[in-house]
Amino acid sequence: MESTTKQASSRKRDQAASLNSRKTGGFWKLFKQQRYLYLMSVPFVIWAFIFSYVPLWGWLMAFQEYKPARSFFDQKWVGFDQFITLFQDQQFYLALRNTLAMSFLGLIFGFIFPVIFAILLNEVRGMVFKRTVQTVSYLPHFVSWVVVAGIVTKALSTDGGIINELLVSLHIIDQPIQFMAQGQWFWGIVTASDVWKEMGWSTIIYLAAITGIDQEQYEASRVDGAGRFRQMWHITLPGMRTTIIVLLIMSIGHLVSIGFEKQFLLGNNLVTDYSQVLDLYALKYGLEMNRYSYGTAISIFNSVISIILLFTANGIFKKTTKESIM
Amino acid sequence: MPGKWLKRTLVPLAVLSLAAVTACGDSSDPTQMETTDVSQPITISFFGSDPNATWNNMKDDVGQAITKATNVTVNAEYDVSGGGTQKISLMTASGEYPDMIFPKGSITKLVDAGALIDLTDLIDKYGPNIKKVYGDDLSRLQYSKEDPSIYVIPTNAGVGQTSFDAGGGFEIQNEVMKEMGYPKIKTVNDFEKVLKAYKEKHPTINGQPTIPLSLNADDWKIMITVTDPAVNATGGTPDGEFDINPKTYEARLHYKRPEDKEYFRWLNHMYNEGLLDPETFTQKNDQYLSKIASGRVLGLIDQEWDYQQAENSLKTSGMAERTYGHYPLQMTESTKDHSFQDAGPPVGYGIGITTSAKDPIRIIKFLDWMASDEAQVLNNWGVEGKHYEMKDGKRSMPAEIQDRRVNDNTNFTRESGIGMYNFSVRYGDGVKDPSGNYYTTNFPEQIVAGYTQPEKDALKAYGATTWKDLFPAKEEFPVKEWGAAYNLPAPSDPSYTVAFQKSQDIVRKRIPEAILASPDQFDSIYDQMIAELSTDDMKQMEAQYSQMIKDTVELWSQPVAAK
Repeated sequence: MESTTKQASSRKRDQAASLNSRKTGGFWKLFKQQRYLYLMSVPFVIWAFIFSYVPLWGWLMAFQEYKPARSFFDQKWVGFDQFITLFQDQQFYLALRNTLAMSFLGLIFGFIFPVIFAILLNEVRGMVFKRTVQTVSYLPHFVSWVVVAGIVTKALSTDGGIINELLVSLHIIDQPIQFMAQGQWFWGIVTASDVWKEMGWSTIIYLAAITGIDQEQYEASRVDGAGRFRQMWHITLPGMRTTIIVLLIMSIGHLVSIGFEKQFLLGNNLVTDYSQVLDLYALKYGLEMNRYSYGTAISIFNSVISIILLFTANGIFKKTTKESIM
Repeated sequence: MPGKWLKRTLVPLAVLSLAAVTACGDSSDPTQMETTDVSQPITISFFGSDPNATWNNMKDDVGQAITKATNVTVNAEYDVSGGGTQKISLMTASGEYPDMIFPKGSITKLVDAGALIDLTDLIDKYGPNIKKVYGDDLSRLQYSKEDPSIYVIPTNAGVGQTSFDAGGGFEIQNEVMKEMGYPKIKTVNDFEKVLKAYKEKHPTINGQPTIPLSLNADDWKIMITVTDPAVNATGGTPDGEFDINPKTYEARLHYKRPEDKEYFRWLNHMYNEGLLDPETFTQKNDQYLSKIASGRVLGLIDQEWDYQQAENSLKTSGMAERTYGHYPLQMTESTKDHSFQDAGPPVGYGIGITTSAKDPIRIIKFLDWMASDEAQVLNNWGVEGKHYEMKDGKRSMPAEIQDRRVNDNTNFTRESGIGMYNFSVRYGDGVKDPSGNYYTTNFPEQIVAGYTQPEKDALKAYGATTWKDLFPAKEEFPVKEWGAAYNLPAPSDPSYTVAFQKSQDIVRKRIPEAILASPDQFDSIYDQMIAELSTDDMKQMEAQYSQMIKDTVELWSQPVAAK
């Protein structure tokens, strides 16, 4: 999916370049002028071609009953059978629901918290404190999900888990709660651990965006009598807007492909109805069973959904905020 | 998947040309065989589906001795987890295989992809030791009725194995049994009483709450400690997920046995009584092990290999009395534990040679050497004069080697390589070599020497030497005609695999739900599960499995035809 966005954006850029060139007197003149730039981009074009376009050939597999170690011409063609099986499977819809639910939750909270955190961090005056907080907050990003899942399960355990101990000692609850056994808690647990792990890391890019805001604007607003909160609302936030929107559109493109580590590692048999996601479904019912064709059908479906989401989001933002990535 | 198209066109070509080469080799042309000169060093690549943390690239003592004797170096890669399924799927997709492979249950994928070569003729010509160890009747090694090729040499179990110790059944801490005065226990109700009484007397152990019973339901371990025991504790035969009628060979998911339902009802009762750890179905493998290692889990329903690590740490931290004994408990006294029923010579999981191997004859010669007396003793005992000595015709391990083996096993195995080269068919425990010594190092004296004192005390109280003595012996049961069903290659058709995967998803969701429900809801949840397991695709899957069992029994009853 990442590749598709890149291709799409590079195509747009090429078009824009050729439009410009027509205005200024021919594509070739411009090409000559920028030949070193073109030359430098060649390796990346080749890279994108090999890794993003060539594999699309494999999509044909979704219309076959693919068996390994047979030549392409010996494969049995089955038309849309794989897709029909896919759309008739109840588990697929469950996986789709869980995927979208968790990715939307992740999208919402994964944006709100880092933005707020970046703004607050920006207001901190003590440099040492600011740097320490920032470092501590982005360290979890480097911890693998296997370890994070271990920490989370242990913390939520009824057998001496810190969260339950705390709630019991504060008399909020009488009995430890089996957090990991409740399906309805699962999306929340995944989102919360994701926010904990990635908040600090995502903050970095917003802090960078804030640094780019012209200091004179703050001075001017102070002269006009704006307080701290007014400055945040009228200067910092609008200054970050472009960054936020670009990142938002790009994440919307990735909504369906959220991976499965979190769900796989945090889930258990009691919460499968809430933890099964598309990638896990594709692994279990596709690759692990040697059903390459079925797996490919799932990934085509993913790509199509991603492209639709991406263009919709891009279109909406283009219309409403005049910001877009293409 | 870059460059797939290239592979897809080139690989068949490569396979074709290889087939042509091997065909030449097989056409009993003597000049061709000269090429497999054993004096030339060769490196054989290998993939093993089970993890092997102690593999040391043959730099260990046994590995060096093997290379010296055969000029063979094995370049091995072991799967990290997951039993090789994903890795082998990727291999069949790319068409690139190692020379030798231990595929476990994924053998069907390799056979479907035409990746394994038929070993029948190779064993016949170059495998005198293999034939000697396995016996002349190789029919059990044939893949299926439709495809009577031999694809793997069984390496997972020993031939003629007589188990001297039990590692399964129900486990209770030896300390608990001691305090209760070593009561006679036969049924799960006795188990429950013992755990309950001890828990009431000792609500905490080492300052932490006592856990009467904990199970490990993390991923596939749920089969080992939750679902398989339902069969074992009700007099069923261990055949994986299926219950097979010994007369008609009809297979059904074992959850459909009424006895299974009663077992799960008992677990439900244990949960509602507060005796079953409420975290049973949410804890991960490591949490389970750390609870056991803390010494406060009184009872288990597990296999020793699953909790071994935790038991080892109990021993090293001076809590030997918290180690476990094994008891063959049943739901009622009218049934027997079938753990030791004879499944006949080993079949199933083994090592095969792939179409990528350039010199299959050389490899089979190597595998044949690995089946020789010399190699088996080397693999099990190590190097003579270094790891064992022969005194008056008796093979024994010096005390300091024995000590390192028990207390510093990981490092010792890495350095010595003992037991790491199970590359070929081999004798099991209890078989003696021509010198009158056991091939393996597992024999009664050795096993008893490895017990802790509390274990010995408990065994003495029950008048037994090893835990196995408490279990019904294999002579009490007929030999199973289809071996162990979980070892047979299951059908690979999607109509079977998809339905089977669905059945597993249903079971792993519904069984925990039923156990954690209130007692009055148990029936409706369980019946709902049975209904979900009785749809048409499930019935078709069971029929396919029954057919596979029938074919197997038929196939094994006829000796392999000479080609």
